[in-house]
Amino acid sequence: MKHIAEHKDNAESIIEHAGFSFLYIRNLSPIPVEEVQYHSAVIIEVKNYDFVRLMVSSIRANLSPDIYLKPIFLLKKDTYDDAVMDELADGSIKGLDELDLVVPTVERISTRVQDLTFTNSISFEAQIITKLITLLYTKEQKTVDPFPYVYSNIGYYYPLLSVNFQRTEETVALDILKIAEEEGILRSDYYDRVYLCSSCSSNHLSYREVCPKCSSSNTTPDDIVHHFPCGYVGPMQDFKNEIDDKLDCPKCNKRLKHIGVDYDKPSVIHDCNNCHHKFQDYHVNAKCLSCLSDKSVETLKPTEIKSYRLTKKGELAAIKGFVTTTKDIDEVIGTIKYDTFKTMLKYEIERLKQTEGQSNICAINISNSSQVYSKLGSDLQRGLLKDLVSVIRSNIRSSDVIAFESSSTIVMSMNAIPNKIAKKIIGEMVSLLNDLIKTSFEDLDVLFDTKVVALDYAKTHEAHLKELITDFS
Amino acid sequence: MDELLDNYIRFLATLTPAYFVELFWFYFVFEFVRYFLLEFIVLNLAKIRAVFNKPHKEDARRRLFMENPLVSILIPGKNEGKHLFKLVNSLGEQTYKNIEIIVVCDGSDDDTPIIGRSLEKAGLIDMFIRNEVRGGKASAANTALRFAKGKYIIHLDADCSYDNDAMEKILIPFFEDERVGGVGGNVSVRNYKESLVTTLQGVEYFNTITTGRTVTSYLGIYRIISGAFGAFRADVIDQLKGWDIGPGLDGDITVKIRKKGYKIKFAQDANCLTSVPNTFRKLIKQRLRWDKSLVRFRMRKHKDVLMPTASFKMLDFFSAFENIMYNVVLNFKWYVYLLIMLSFYRPLFLNIFITNILLYTATNFVKFIVYSLYREKAHASMSYFLIYLPCMVFYFGIYLRVVRTVAYIQELFFKKSYQDPWNPRKTSVHAKHLGI
Repeated sequence: MKHIAEHKDNAESIIEHAGFSFLYIRNLSPIPVEEVQYHSAVIIEVKNYDFVRLMVSSIRANLSPDIYLKPIFLLKKDTYDDAVMDELADGSIKGLDELDLVVPTVERISTRVQDLTFTNSISFEAQIITKLITLLYTKEQKTVDPFPYVYSNIGYYYPLLSVNFQRTEETVALDILKIAEEEGILRSDYYDRVYLCSSCSSNHLSYREVCPKCSSSNTTPDDIVHHFPCGYVGPMQDFKNEIDDKLDCPKCNKRLKHIGVDYDKPSVIHDCNNCHHKFQDYHVNAKCLSCLSDKSVETLKPTEIKSYRLTKKGELAAIKGFVTTTKDIDEVIGTIKYDTFKTMLKYEIERLKQTEGQSNICAINISNSSQVYSKLGSDLQRGLLKDLVSVIRSNIRSSDVIAFESSSTIVMSMNAIPNKIAKKIIGEMVSLLNDLIKTSFEDLDVLFDTKVVALDYAKTHEAHLKELITDFS
Repeated sequence: MDELLDNYIRFLATLTPAYFVELFWFYFVFEFVRYFLLEFIVLNLAKIRAVFNKPHKEDARRRLFMENPLVSILIPGKNEGKHLFKLVNSLGEQTYKNIEIIVVCDGSDDDTPIIGRSLEKAGLIDMFIRNEVRGGKASAANTALRFAKGKYIIHLDADCSYDNDAMEKILIPFFEDERVGGVGGNVSVRNYKESLVTTLQGVEYFNTITTGRTVTSYLGIYRIISGAFGAFRADVIDQLKGWDIGPGLDGDITVKIRKKGYKIKFAQDANCLTSVPNTFRKLIKQRLRWDKSLVRFRMRKHKDVLMPTASFKMLDFFSAFENIMYNVVLNFKWYVYLLIMLSFYRPLFLNIFITNILLYTATNFVKFIVYSLYREKAHASMSYFLIYLPCMVFYFGIYLRVVRTVAYIQELFFKKSYQDPWNPRKTSVHAKHLGI
């Protein structure tokens, strides 16, 4: 049963079919992208390719899951080859009478969308990773492959990811994929290497042989001629006379007769028409067609292009809806990097070997971090973490250090005090933190778990950390 | 042994002055007069002139640096890549800075093209030209010359190294006398400690180049600007359109410049060090090539300087004559002397032979020690060579004489130089056909 309702301006149609509402976008009839969220799926008529690219991109680039996760189908009557658009869409039909064919896909995506929990990741990078992996999950797709794409600024396009960026910012997609790989969300395989402009990171380069002195490509080659009998060597021009097209030696005036017998051409020389420099070996320059910089190919940035696969951790992160990256917690004042914390712990253990003193490491974990962060925007999440660190800092000695193991687990050192005292301080700290939450964040329940581990110089720093955070992983 | 000694002492006791000259005329007439007495007189005159000429020379140096002309340094060669970096570095140390360096790779089959290109790219040399097909030394030098922009041209060998004021010193004679068309640098042996043969060549180069060329330059008959280190006025060498086919092209171009009416000078203080052949076998190969070129160029190609033509010049005549006389004619005359001694003085031959060796050795010692006082700079300690000087009589008087004889015969009767693989056959056939 199909029912088509047309809007007044005839620009869009809503098709009710099999219990789903399809938004039908006709050729060259743009609609506000927010309209998409009120329908089960989108069908875009393919006639003008630029229009299709614009519509598909604006849906997938939107930050709202209600929009970017919506199934998109292309209505293609003719052959339309755009692998990137095919990747961004969820399927295609040849006419509205084929709607039945896409219903199972709409059903599947709608069901899988319901598996997802939508929370706000803290950093921009984490938000984009969340967006990518939720799209992969709903599309039942495990790979993020690069597509050679003429419209891409870097030559390769990761459709579900690169769509979020303007042409000039496409390299950000590569940075984000790298972060996702470091976090264990994606795993990579080498695919290709591209060379990007060192000024603007564009791959749209024109390679030219140029004069090594002035970089002009306006040059003229000339054969070098060696006259055997007298040993004269010079460019062909030297041997030309004004009377006929024969060659005469300027040194001995003999006519050149037979190549290989009385003369040969041992090499070629290039004459720059701009600066008149003579040279044999060109320099190869790459002129960037985006920013017009013209530099030696050696200055180009070699960049690896990889294909990625979603890991199990990535799949779970998609469902959980929250991704943390080191970017989230790098900038919280009063903390040191986790790697630095590990190094300092190692030295403290070494120190204890000499002094036989008592030191501890402690952890405070937000056990319901997904729920907490989902209620807060990025700025508030950062604010919460800053406040927590500030309270902790005021309750430990200045010689002790604080670090984020993850965005939900804070670790700290409590050196040169007995284990009992450390536990007591942590207990008091948690009650202060609870007070802080109550006064600063209304209607927010934050659950804290704590652990204190006394340092034992017989064990490695890694073993200590494992023991400390094992309950929170 | 005692009998031999007694016999020799008795022989010496019988020697009256007249008898002495009768038996050792060869040494007295040619060796002593030409290579000791004349050289000694001229070295003294040259020294006196140098003292009086000092202000003029300093003025020439000042004018060189004031004008600061561009000087093109040409380095042609095959498979010389391994020497290039060191050479270019030493050129970077020169006190005279306004230079352009042009390297020509003459069909090298090693890494020379890669090395040359990277030096060019790094800006250490101004131009690197690779000729895919080997054309010979002259063609490589002419290739570099064609693209040189300097007012003066300096031709170097890649395997040599230079004092940091060598370029300055070789240019000064052009500013001392505007009629100077070419200047030869002083070439010494770098690897003189490597083997006996290199040590002996060290002594030989001191005698024939450092001393010999100072003398011929003073007399105005200096006739060979070494390819290893020679400077030319660019306009003069352009008139000649560069070098002709070798081997012996450095001597050839010197004669051609002289024929054009320009003076040739030797700059003893412009020092260059070169590596010489380190075995007797390799040295034979080199000297056969050099000695053949004397016959080919002096006696054939440039025989006109010996003829009373319209362009006859006395100094050019003496330059060629002295060269041919002392190297070719006296070389054969020595065999005549040997034959006379063997034929008419056979019972005394051993004693004559020993006396000759003693005479030459004594002269070598005196020459070497005395002439060292006339040398401005020394790269090697004189004392190092002293113990080797007794070998010089065998090296120079017998070994090199035999090599020279073979070379002259080969060239005079068989024109062997045209078959020398030092030059590609494609050019040699034309040179032979044209008689050049």
